[in-house]
Amino acid sequence: MNITLGQYYPVDSVIHRLDARAKILATIIYIIAVFCADGVIGYGLCIVFLAAVIALCRVPFKLMLRSLRSIIFIIIFTVALNMLFIRTGSEIFSLGFIHITTGGVLTAARLCIRLVILIMGSSILTLVTTPIALTEGIERLLRPFKKIGVPSHEIAMMMSIALRFIPTLIEELDKIKKAQMARGADFDTGGLVKRAKAMIPLLVPLFVSAFRRADELAMAMEARCYRGDINRTKMRESVYGRRDVFALSLVILLTVCVILLRILL
Amino acid sequence: MNFVESRNLEFEYIKYDDETDKKTSVKALRGVDIDVAKGEFVAVLGRNGSGKSTFAKLINGLNTPSGGTLYVRGLDASREENIWDIRQNVGMVFQNPDNQIIATIVEEDIAFGPENLGMEPSQIVKNVDMALKAVSMEEYRNAAPAYLSGGQKQRIAIAGILAMRPECIILDEPTAMLDPQGRKEVMDTVTMLNKEEGITIILITHYMEEAALADRIVVMNEGRVAMQGTPVEIFTRVDEMRSLHLDVPQITELAHIIHGKKPDFPKDILNIEEFMDAFKYMGFDKDFSYRGKSTHIKYNRPILEVKDLTHIYGRETAFEKVAIKNVNMTVGKGDFIGLIGHTGSGKSTLIQHLNALVKGDEGSVYFEGKDIFEDKAGLKFIRQKIGLVFQYPEYQIFETTIYDEVAYGPRNCGLSEDDIAVRVKEALEFVGIDESMYKKSPFDLSGGQKRRVAIAGVLAMRPEILILDEPMAGLDPYGRDEILLNIKKMHDDLGITVILVSHSMEDIATIADKIIVMNKGSIAMYDTVDNVFKEPDRLSAMGLNAPQLTLLFKRLREETGLDVPINIYDVKEAAEILISALR
Repeated sequence: MNITLGQYYPVDSVIHRLDARAKILATIIYIIAVFCADGVIGYGLCIVFLAAVIALCRVPFKLMLRSLRSIIFIIIFTVALNMLFIRTGSEIFSLGFIHITTGGVLTAARLCIRLVILIMGSSILTLVTTPIALTEGIERLLRPFKKIGVPSHEIAMMMSIALRFIPTLIEELDKIKKAQMARGADFDTGGLVKRAKAMIPLLVPLFVSAFRRADELAMAMEARCYRGDINRTKMRESVYGRRDVFALSLVILLTVCVILLRILL
Repeated sequence: MNFVESRNLEFEYIKYDDETDKKTSVKALRGVDIDVAKGEFVAVLGRNGSGKSTFAKLINGLNTPSGGTLYVRGLDASREENIWDIRQNVGMVFQNPDNQIIATIVEEDIAFGPENLGMEPSQIVKNVDMALKAVSMEEYRNAAPAYLSGGQKQRIAIAGILAMRPECIILDEPTAMLDPQGRKEVMDTVTMLNKEEGITIILITHYMEEAALADRIVVMNEGRVAMQGTPVEIFTRVDEMRSLHLDVPQITELAHIIHGKKPDFPKDILNIEEFMDAFKYMGFDKDFSYRGKSTHIKYNRPILEVKDLTHIYGRETAFEKVAIKNVNMTVGKGDFIGLIGHTGSGKSTLIQHLNALVKGDEGSVYFEGKDIFEDKAGLKFIRQKIGLVFQYPEYQIFETTIYDEVAYGPRNCGLSEDDIAVRVKEALEFVGIDESMYKKSPFDLSGGQKRRVAIAGVLAMRPEILILDEPMAGLDPYGRDEILLNIKKMHDDLGITVILVSHSMEDIATIADKIIVMNKGSIAMYDTVDNVFKEPDRLSAMGLNAPQLTLLFKRLREETGLDVPINIYDVKEAAEILISALR
């Protein structure tokens, strides 16, 4: 059985090779830029930037569009609401109580573009970064906050153990399901209550097993001298290189431009 | 001072009983004196619950002694401040390979220990390289552990310990969940580390052939040391070992029986090589001939038929894998079939098709002449008639009482509570669980008991065919014998057709009538036990072995020209033949 986690698309590209920290920060700054963007030039800048990244990261455009599928209803909903209720500018269409104005259409279009480039832009992060690299990136970014009590190491350790065990537990669940089906269990028919009840023979063994695994894992980690973040080193600490600084500078530049445009125009 | 020195070592833990609300203290170790010298290879044997694992955890500082003294590398293991020093130098490998791998990439997992020790990154890289090389896993450096075999995972776990540069490695049943190939990989690695790197090894195991590789064996029983000595010294005390519910290697037992009748025959024999030498030295009757039993094949009425069955996982994706290909077979009513094949040969996939848990991409399965998928509503009936006991069936236990656990299957069949009661009682009686236990939680049982309850859960559906996937895996010798005896009784007394998947050729040889050999997704051989084991070379090409006695008798025929059959699987029968052949 093969279970792929997350959406990582394994190709080698300039974007893939960036440090996870740079990619996470760039995504956050990009989101700020999109929120600040206004006017044709502002949106235009963001779109050009996004298009450049999409071209560089060599992930099929189809995959990016897929990330939009989950928010298609939100887009339709907001577009409809804006068109129906915003009554500024001149009227272009009216039928009974429905009045559609140029102001409404413009606002709706603006929102639609903003949502699309926001979601597409941020989905790139998980497409070009492995879950492990993401985890490490988050740990490194949170490290400065350790002084104020953010358990950055523990958060990262939890995430990587979860990543490690999700495939194992999925496989286990499949085995338990088959074993109970062999004892005549039926998971597909009956009403809601019956189906919920049928889950007990799956969930109890799964949790029992998860606890047993956790217990054994904790012991194995202790036996290998694990004691949290005390005096710990890393075999390979990713290096923050020049291209990471360059990439990040580009995004910051974009944001500054967008903000300046907004203030000046 | 020895590397490990324990004097009158005790360990006690508090057990809490939910029902009676009582706390009782359980003495897991009651005064243990064990010394392990530096560089020594010590095997620890004993039944489940004899205190073996407890002892191992004390050495590593995972438990703290409640009495007596324990020194490791000259350091008092009961003192908190010594624990890190000890753990750094005494690594531990556990039974379940999945539950000791922390990272999602092999290399990072091996680096985990050194990272915890705060080693310099450049030193960690060096140690990881060295460790990967020592376990011959260099090419898997960047692999995901989830896709490795059990043997490979255990070697990664060993590498993770090696990278910390320990002086001693404790292995707690490292091969219990592995197939013969994986067991060999792990044991080769362990012996190499001991012989070539001088690492002290403490190996806890249920496999006597593994213990025979050690310099010294310690046998534990009920929290005490029962016997200590070299493998030869221990295994020649056959009767004592039996009384402790432990096995001895078949060859040693054979020599022991022969020695009883012919005192000149040496009893300190651990392997076929030594046996051959002793036998040739003794002198034997060259004209001796033993006809052996003729095996007549029983042809039973077909009950289950498989036609052109093919199953491909992940069809039309990058991960496409043919699990089984063009499988054809017929199972007769009342057959006892052993199903063998190395891991990944398609055994597990095949048996899941037999009771309609999985549907093949091509081909069909017929029960009593009817396609099992013909009638969707009849699937429950098929699964009731063809029972399937999965590997480690105790992991599917979920009910609060033993009774309800066993009643789950019959209830799903829609039987009345009266009928269910009859079946539950019948099934539990059969596996030897007493009526006084019915209201107890199945989770409180021992490993072997849990497994028997789980098997009863399938038996209570009164199957006509029972398929068992490695039902003896991970149990101690006593637990293994109990389950095997139960299965034999199901076939002989209840007339159930049995398909038994097992890695133990000795068990299959004594219990089954026919054998199916799976290899690379196809049936390579399907014949009587004698005919399959007649070709040990063909089996070994498929990563399998013939039983020990078969291999011995084959060599006797070839090297001494003695006219003996090779289809001997019972130690007593083998001894009788050889005693009459010896002068």
